[in-house]
Amino acid sequence: MAGRFVVSSASVTDLQRMAELARRLAGADGRVDAVALAGDAGVLAPEDGTLADTAGGLAGLADTLLVYEGAGEYLRGDMWAAALVDAIGQDGECVLVADAPAAREAVARTAVSCRASVASMCEDLQRAEGGGFVARRSIYGGVADGLIALVSTPAVCLFAAGKFEGAPSGESVPVEQRTLGAPAYEVTHVGDEPVVRTVDLAGASVVVSVGRGFVKREDLDLVDPLVSALGAELGCSRPIAEDFKWLPKERLVGLTGESVTAELYLALGISGQVQHLTGVKGARVVAAVNNDAKAPITRNADYVVVGDLYKVVPELVNALRSRS
Amino acid sequence: MRIIVCAKHVVDSTEIRWDDEHDEVVLRNLPTKISDYDRNALEAAVVLKESEPSVDLDVVMIGGEAALKTLKEAVAMGADRGHLVEGGWDDPFDPLRSARVLAKAIDQLEEPDLVMCGLVSEDGYNGVTGAALAQLLDVPYLAPVVGLKVDEGSLEAVLDVGSALRTVKVAMPCVVAVDSAMNVPRLPTVLQVMKVKGDRVAKMSLDSLSLSADAAELAHAGELVGSESGAVERRRVLIEEAPDEAAARLVEYLRQEGVL
Repeated sequence: MAGRFVVSSASVTDLQRMAELARRLAGADGRVDAVALAGDAGVLAPEDGTLADTAGGLAGLADTLLVYEGAGEYLRGDMWAAALVDAIGQDGECVLVADAPAAREAVARTAVSCRASVASMCEDLQRAEGGGFVARRSIYGGVADGLIALVSTPAVCLFAAGKFEGAPSGESVPVEQRTLGAPAYEVTHVGDEPVVRTVDLAGASVVVSVGRGFVKREDLDLVDPLVSALGAELGCSRPIAEDFKWLPKERLVGLTGESVTAELYLALGISGQVQHLTGVKGARVVAAVNNDAKAPITRNADYVVVGDLYKVVPELVNALRSRS
Repeated sequence: MRIIVCAKHVVDSTEIRWDDEHDEVVLRNLPTKISDYDRNALEAAVVLKESEPSVDLDVVMIGGEAALKTLKEAVAMGADRGHLVEGGWDDPFDPLRSARVLAKAIDQLEEPDLVMCGLVSEDGYNGVTGAALAQLLDVPYLAPVVGLKVDEGSLEAVLDVGSALRTVKVAMPCVVAVDSAMNVPRLPTVLQVMKVKGDRVAKMSLDSLSLSADAAELAHAGELVGSESGAVERRRVLIEEAPDEAAARLVEYLRQEGVL
């Protein structure tokens, strides 16, 4: 079946991934249009490449790069939606957008405007028998993988951010310039206070995470020697970042935080709620220290020390030091 | 000023399990509650009301009879009244339906200056409902909000956009989605919940919103049609020795795995 697909993303690698998937679903006679947004200060989406880079990166994956000028000062969800709605036009069958700040607003407004069906957190997409699409996504915080039927057309799919493993091939795709109208809503930009990110949990090869097994904020000092002995990045579970606010949210591992891809993930005093485990799925080896042998983490780890972390953590530091 | 908070009645997400025997997610007979993220929105609204007592604060919730208790709990946090839209189960995989029902309900109430909700819901994690509601109401949408200031008809909000804390200003009405980093929600006491009498919670039927159960607006735009376990198989080796021996054994295992 042939169809016209629209893909858009705030990053080039996600745009390539969306385009590759759309290419596969669109079939030989189908069409894939990539959407970019440009504003006063240059390209806003994808924000990490020039238009020439993006057009080259889409070689063999998309048919056209539609560049919408006039998107404003920064990437706004309502302006993004205006571009998507225009790109879908009368015959767009499906829209794939990678998650990013403003992407959810873009997807939601587009879905309402086009009387579309919508799914968030998509990991894969297929055509359904008898028409429409079926999206695969994690549901209930990671308890299960669910299949979401998207019945009405167009289908609007918000994908989790990820990596593109393939490679573009051939000629750069042609660029077509279009212009957005004035914004529907007046939003005054007062100013930005840059946030310096110092933590890279997603890319770290060893992550040591702390949870509610720690009684006081000061007790977190206990893990410092372990973190340095392992050359690890420090992470935490949701209560530590969101309820107690002992650590900044950039250290949060789980559904509402980061997903790790570490070789080793060491969970200290973390019971292992599914919302946390969702962020740990990509780790190769999961180890844990927990005083409750019945905690869910024991069923979801490779090695579990059942014991008092206040006693085990210093011994772990000793054991690591004595073998080096 | 009028504020409406949209709060969701959900099954406690920490209690949801996968049943290996029947190959299904178990949702029956689980405790229900206000979606955590909407409690952050309620807290932010109550804080605005505390600083400006003329603020009139309503809570709107979709659900069946069982949601009434949840709604009272939401009102007990400091709202003036609650409205239960008798729309059945607020399906986590159909955020457009939720948004359409909420938009119709808000149309029936005195016009708000500010509509607030959590950034995502605890069961669906879509992050779509609030923005879809803004589109239906044809107003600006601000998210994820970590700071709020109201000043004579305009709203100044701080958004956490990842690379920066962005301050923006819009004229109201508008919809804002509150980030959990913004505050620590208060827990109403049992007594406070009991004090929420029947006259502070009203029910709205779908019929009264000109929505019949089979209305086109309520047709499923997204529907869960299958599921399988999301667990990753792990070795599950338990080490139950004295701390020094256990630590040495764990280090040995990790060395064998080649991760040290």
